[in-house]
Parts: sequence; C-alpha cells; structure tokens
Amino acid sequence: MSEMWINMGPQHPMTHGLWNLRIKVDGELIVDADPEIGYLHRGIEKICEYRRYNEVITLMDRTCYVAGIAWEQLYIMAAEGALGITPPARAEYIRVLSQELQRLSSHIIWYAAYVQDIGLMTPFLYGMRDRDLVLDLFQSYTGARMTYEYMRVGGVRNDVPVGFTDRCRKVMDWLDGKLVEYEKVCDNSTIFLDRTIGVGILKAKEAIQDGITGPVLRAANVARDIRRDRPYSAYPEIDFDVAIHDGADCYGRYRVRMEEMKQSVRIVRQVLDWLDRNPGPVLAEKVPRFVGTPSPPPGKEIYVERRGYPKGRGFSSMEEPHGEAMAYIINEGAEHPYRAKLRSPVFVNIAAAKDYLIGYRISDIPAIMGSVDVCLGEADR
Amino acid sequence: MTGTALSLSELPSALAGKFPGKVTPVPGRKDMLAALKVLPEAIVPVSQFLRDQGTFEHCALVSGVDWIDRIEVLYHLWSDEYKGYLELSVDLPADEPHVASVTPVWSGANWHERETWDMLGVRFDGHPDLRRVLMPEGYRFHPLRKSFELREPEELEVKARHV
Amino acid sequence: MVDTIYSVVYALVVYALNLLGPIVPIAPSLGPGLAVWLSYLVVGAIIFAFSLVNVLVFIWWERKLLGRFMDRRGAMHVGYAGLLQNLADGLKLFRKQPFAPKDADELGYYFGPTAYLVMSVMILGLIPLSFGVSGGVVPLSLLVALALFSFAPLFIFIASWSSNNKYSLIGGMRTAAQLVAYEIPLLLAVVGVVALTGSFDLNVIVGDQARYGWFGLPLFLGLLLFFVAMLAEVERIPFDLPEAEAELVEGWSTEFGGMLFAFTMMGDYVRALIGSYLIVLLFLGGWSMPWGLSNFPLSGLVFFQVKTYVVFAIFIWVRASLPRVRTDQLLQIGWKRMLPLAMLNIVWALALVVWGWPTIHWPVL
Repeated sequence: MSEMWINMGPQHPMTHGLWNLRIKVDGELIVDADPEIGYLHRGIEKICEYRRYNEVITLMDRTCYVAGIAWEQLYIMAAEGALGITPPARAEYIRVLSQELQRLSSHIIWYAAYVQDIGLMTPFLYGMRDRDLVLDLFQSYTGARMTYEYMRVGGVRNDVPVGFTDRCRKVMDWLDGKLVEYEKVCDNSTIFLDRTIGVGILKAKEAIQDGITGPVLRAANVARDIRRDRPYSAYPEIDFDVAIHDGADCYGRYRVRMEEMKQSVRIVRQVLDWLDRNPGPVLAEKVPRFVGTPSPPPGKEIYVERRGYPKGRGFSSMEEPHGEAMAYIINEGAEHPYRAKLRSPVFVNIAAAKDYLIGYRISDIPAIMGSVDVCLGEADR
Repeated sequence: MTGTALSLSELPSALAGKFPGKVTPVPGRKDMLAALKVLPEAIVPVSQFLRDQGTFEHCALVSGVDWIDRIEVLYHLWSDEYKGYLELSVDLPADEPHVASVTPVWSGANWHERETWDMLGVRFDGHPDLRRVLMPEGYRFHPLRKSFELREPEELEVKARHV
Repeated sequence: MVDTIYSVVYALVVYALNLLGPIVPIAPSLGPGLAVWLSYLVVGAIIFAFSLVNVLVFIWWERKLLGRFMDRRGAMHVGYAGLLQNLADGLKLFRKQPFAPKDADELGYYFGPTAYLVMSVMILGLIPLSFGVSGGVVPLSLLVALALFSFAPLFIFIASWSSNNKYSLIGGMRTAAQLVAYEIPLLLAVVGVVALTGSFDLNVIVGDQARYGWFGLPLFLGLLLFFVAMLAEVERIPFDLPEAEAELVEGWSTEFGGMLFAFTMMGDYVRALIGSYLIVLLFLGGWSMPWGLSNFPLSGLVFFQVKTYVVFAIFIWVRASLPRVRTDQLLQIGWKRMLPLAMLNIVWALALVVWGWPTIHWPVL
C-alpha cells in the first residue's frame, strides 16, 4: 500500500492542546513523523520585556494551564537571582508545598487523560474528581484554581489560612487511598498492560541525546531530578525518593508518575508539619519598591535602589511536573527584564516525537504521545 | 567517549590547553558551575570536547540575546556527573549572525536552534532542518530582536532591520 | 395462531374497512388484498416505533448506568431522571441542516449511513419480541437476521470512503477487517445452538429452551464467544477501534453531522439492541421464564425486555471498565483465540446431541 501523510491536529482528540502531529503511514504503520507547534504561541518572552517584574507573574500563570504555579516559581527564582533577593524560610516551604500540590494535580490530570486515550473511560472521571480536591486547596490559600498569581519576588503573597494544614492533611489521606485505586485499575487490566508495555520505547542514551527530561527520562532508568541534583527552595531539607523505572516504555512512564504522586504526598506531609511548627513572615522585608507596585508618583520613590539597581543575570531551573524547566532573566537595571528566556521541557519532548513513534502503529499514537504528557501552553509560550 | 571523565577542577585548564585563546571564563556567575565565552569558530569542537570528556551530555537550552550591537547565543549544558549547569556564550555580529550548529553534537539542540533562528534570526550552519518553529512560515520578522517593538494593535507598524 | 400480533391487526383492519363501507363503497370490495397490505404496514410501524422507543431508552440506560459507574449522575434534567434527554438531542440533530463536505462523493455520503440504519432496522422485523409478536413467521429468521447483520461493513465502508477523509477511511478499513474477522466466531457460536435445536427459527429456539432449559448453561462457552463477538460486531469498547476517538477523531463517522450523524448513532444502538436480543433469544431463554412465570398474558414481552436490558447492562459494564485494544491485538484475539474456541464449542454441541439431547422441537410453549 502506498504511504500517505496524515495531519493529526491541530484539532484532534489526541493532541491535548493545539499542535499538529504530521505522520506518514504505510497502512497502519508509522514510517515518519513531523510535529508542528506554534498554534498557542503568545510571545510571552517578548511581552516580559515590556512588563515590570511583578506584572510578569500574571503571564507565567498563563504559560502552562496545568502547572501555572510551577512557572511562577521558576520565574520568581530567576528574578530573585537577577535582583539579589532572598525570601524567608516559611515562604520557601509554602513554595515547595505549592509545587508538590501542583505536581499532584498535574499528574492526576495526566492520568485521567491518559487512560481516556487508551479507551478507559471511568478513571477519567475519578481523576477529575480527585484533582478538584487539590484545586480546592489551591483556592483556599491562593484564591484561584488555575491562574494563581501567588508568588512574589521575595516570597509569597500571603500565608496559608488558619486550619489549612489540617484540611490539606485530610485531602492527602484521601489521595493515599485513591492513588492505590488508580494503580489497581491499570495494573490489573491485561489490555492496559498490552497497550503500554514495550510501546514507545526510548532508551536512556537516546533520551539524553535528545534532551528529554522529566518522567520520560526517569522511566528510562536515569535518576535525574533537579529537586535532588540541584536543590532549590526548601528541597534540600526534604526527604523524598526519585522515582525511576527501567522499562523506557509507556508503562514505565506511567509507573514513574504514579510513584511521583506518592512521593509528592509524602513531601506535602513533611511541609505541613514544618509549617505547623514554624510561623514567620512570608515576604522578604527589603523588596525594591519597583517590583512591588506600579510606578510610584515622582518624588515618592521609597528606595533609592530604584535607579542603578545592580545589573545581573538570574538563572533558575526546576523540576516541573513535565520535566526540567529553566528560566534565564537578564536585568539591565530597568523596571522590566531586558530578556526573559524560558525553557519548556515539553518543547523538547515533543521535538523527539519521531524517535518515539517510528515503527509503531496509528493505534499506539495516543498511548505514546499521551505518556509523554504534553502541555502546549508551555511548549509554545 | 575516549578516556575517563575529567574532574570539575581540571576542566578549565583542560579547555584552555586544548583550545588556547578561544575559551575565556566569565567571572561572577554563582548559579552555574562555570560560564565560558567561546569564539564562534570553536563552538562545535568545544561542545564535542565537553560532551565526550566533560560529561556534559545534556544540552538543556540554546537561546539568544539581542544586545543591539551584537547577538549573544547562550548554551546551557547539564552534567549528571557534576550535577550542575555550564554556560557557554558566543558573540555574533548583529548583521547576518551565523554560527555552526551543535545539533550534530546534541540532537536535543535541534528545536532550540530552530527557535533561536525563528526569534532572533541567528543562522545555524549545518543544522539539518532550520525552519521556523513557532512563527508561521514566511513571517517577515524575528520578534525577539529589540528592533521589533510591541505596539498597540492599531498603531502596529513594525520597524525591523532584518526582514 | 403463530403470529398473533399480525392476526389481531388484520382483524382490526378488516373491521375498519367494513366500517368504511357505507362511506367509501369500494373499500370492502378491495377485500383481503388491501387488508393484508395495510396490516403489514401497521405491524411494521408498530415494530419500528417500538424499537425506536427502545433505542432511546437504551441510550438513556447507557447514560445513567455509565454515570453511576463513573461516580456521577448521568442525564438528569430533561424529563423524569433525564428520560427525555435523548429525545431532545434527537430533535436538535433533526433541526440541523444536511450538508456534505466539498470533495465528498454525495451519493455514497448520503447512502451509507442511511442504508446502515435501514438495514439494521430491517432485522427487527424478524425478531420475535414474545410468542407471536413479530413481523411474520420466517422459518429461517435467525439466518436471515445474521445475514442482514453482516451487511453493515459494506455500508460503513461506502460511507467512510465517500466522506473523503483519511480518518474515515482508516476507520472504515478497520471496521471492515474487524467485522469480517468477528463474523466467523459469531456464526460458529450460533452453530452450537442450531445443532441442539435443528432449526433456524427463533420461535423454535426459544420454545426448546422453555422446555429443556436455557442454552446458556450447556453452551456456556458458546454464550461467552457470542457475547464477545457481539461486542466487536456492535463496535463497543474494548473493540471500538473503528471509532477510536483518541486516534481517529470519530472513526468512520467523522464527517457526518446533523441527521446523518443521528443515523450512524441510531444504527449503532439498533445493532446493540439486536445484539442483546439475539443473546437473550439464543442463550438466555428468550421470553420464557422458569416456574411458569411467563404464562401470564404479556408477561413474556416484559421478561424479554427485562433480560435484554440486563444483557445491555453487561455491555455497559464492560465499556466502563475496559480499555481499548489495538488493531493487531484485536485481530489476534479474533483469529487465534476465538476461532479455535468456536470450533471447540461446535464439537461440544455435537457431542451433546450424540449423547442424547432431546430431538423433539416445537415452537409452542
């Protein structure tokens, strides 16, 4: 049979976002693949150059629609590096809490969408139900469920409310049981195992060469986790294991994310205990005025640092739910960044689509691309 | 992959010995293992050396900055051995900037270089597939150039040096 | 006597024609010919209306049950417990403008789904809903029903090819491969039942089960095979590859909208209804119930429907709990597992006959 190109996307149920996977098929067999992105490009990096430091936070929420707060912190860490500010310890712990809750909600929605891709409908709604509990937690301390605008240069906007830690512990107890249930649904299903084991193999060497990061890399038995290897925030004081799997296939990626969720629950518990014991401020005292509020009227500038604030480059990298995210901010002493560069893990993971897909069948595409966990908001920025 | 991996302290002297005058360290970067300024013609051999002898097997990011009088291309490399990032930077002329591609060294740099071409107009010689990645094909501007100014939509009149 | 519903309708039609006599003098003289045709029409309309209502309730049943499996409520706003939701959806589709894609082959595009639905509804005329409640007495009703049932891949392929869409084409190809592959175990599973009854008449098959016990017990393997093959034939999870929405958008029905989409959807559910009917008729005793429960007037009709809904509930349960298999896995299951097992089932049925299964077959209870 002759070969033909098929456009899977930009509007296609497999894509989970807006991108176009062009595949060349011979019958049902994939012989070539060419991903195309850019449909969600909003020029966030360019807009950053025209916004004051705190105004950029709003943009960062919109970068990724399932892990907004991860990008907030990424940007904040780079900005703090560029401006030379250290946040108080309690703020760092609240940030870690936010990261892990975000990882939970992101992985749960990944799980829900993934089983749906494979054709298993019921756990999709289980996942959405439980993710809502995590979003409720977010709502209780940031005021929003998706676009939080919670982090600030020099800390976080407000402390967690009274009774939050107990409420959060209850949700974690609930999730403990539900995570086991999720695993049972998939691991006891022969069809699920048939669909995922040995499918979409990307070995460690190839994955490193392709720049793959995150759960996809850890599923190839490479224990690289920025939280462990280059700890930021309060991660150095927190005890957790890096989840790895030696399958290098879709099943391995599923296992790694499942294990990561359990570790996230563990981290959240540690952070909650710490928060109960250590009250304190959540915002640094000496934050330069210009990053806090819109331009003050002339003559009212509180900090003389407003002019001639030290030039510098801020760099941060962190383990976002999808992989290694990096932000690079150049501060030229102005009110807004001279250049802000974001590295999205999904951008690179999609670029390697050819390596996952060739040799498999059309029916495997949702299973493989789903296991990569794409979020086009952050790939296109 | 020849020989054993160098330790981090040996790396600068090894680089200086192998590429005399082409690699100069940039002081004052605390968040990196090191920051190096590399001459454009040496970027591929240096990359090759860092990957094979320096265990920098992961090219995390290739990006660029428009300094108006020059274009700076930045490479961020990660090593599982040293658990840290290394920054390479290359200065290119603002007119017709081009530099050799590192995609043959790290295939993960592929899309990053495409994006840098797309956004800043830096040509990567030897890149297998240098097309635009985010902006549509046939778009006339490189938006992250400082000459591309954001305006309100009604007065959108882009003055670009490079079309 | 056998086709009671037809006799009743015929009597009513003759009575009505006689009533018309004084007004339209010609009516009685047309006599038996007209009455026969009219009563066929009326019986057809009754069956069609009955099955249509059944399809609507089927969709409701699936929505509600699936909702419960998924920890939600399902349709609940239109009508009591959402019973009229499907009617509302149908009306919405009915109001839509019919259209064809620019490069589609219009003849095939309109013909495919329509023929798919019509061919599916035709089968309902052959299926007795209770003793004597059927479109007519067809001695080979089971054979004809299965023959009509296997027409579907042809129309699906016509519809998919003429839509001029790659997803539709792949979906149509998959449908053809899948339905052809599972047709064989389906038919072979039926052979066991036919061997025990010696007849293709569904009335006889149910009569035999009323006397000698449901075939689901001695032919449990056959029931299992028939059930799985039927899952594949009606394209439901885990065998819903032809419309696997994650990879093929909506499979062979991607390009259809409005009423044509309603046709494909209704065709699917009519086929699911027929599948459930056939499982009940062949293996679960049809309208008969033990301990003389089905001897009351109309009780057979009720029991038959109840059994059908229970069987369909199992279809839904499977849908709620299993993922979708892959194309190659699907065909492997069909050819390498189901086919040998179906052969085994025939051998077992023949052994039962040799070992002295009763040989007196009669449709009457």
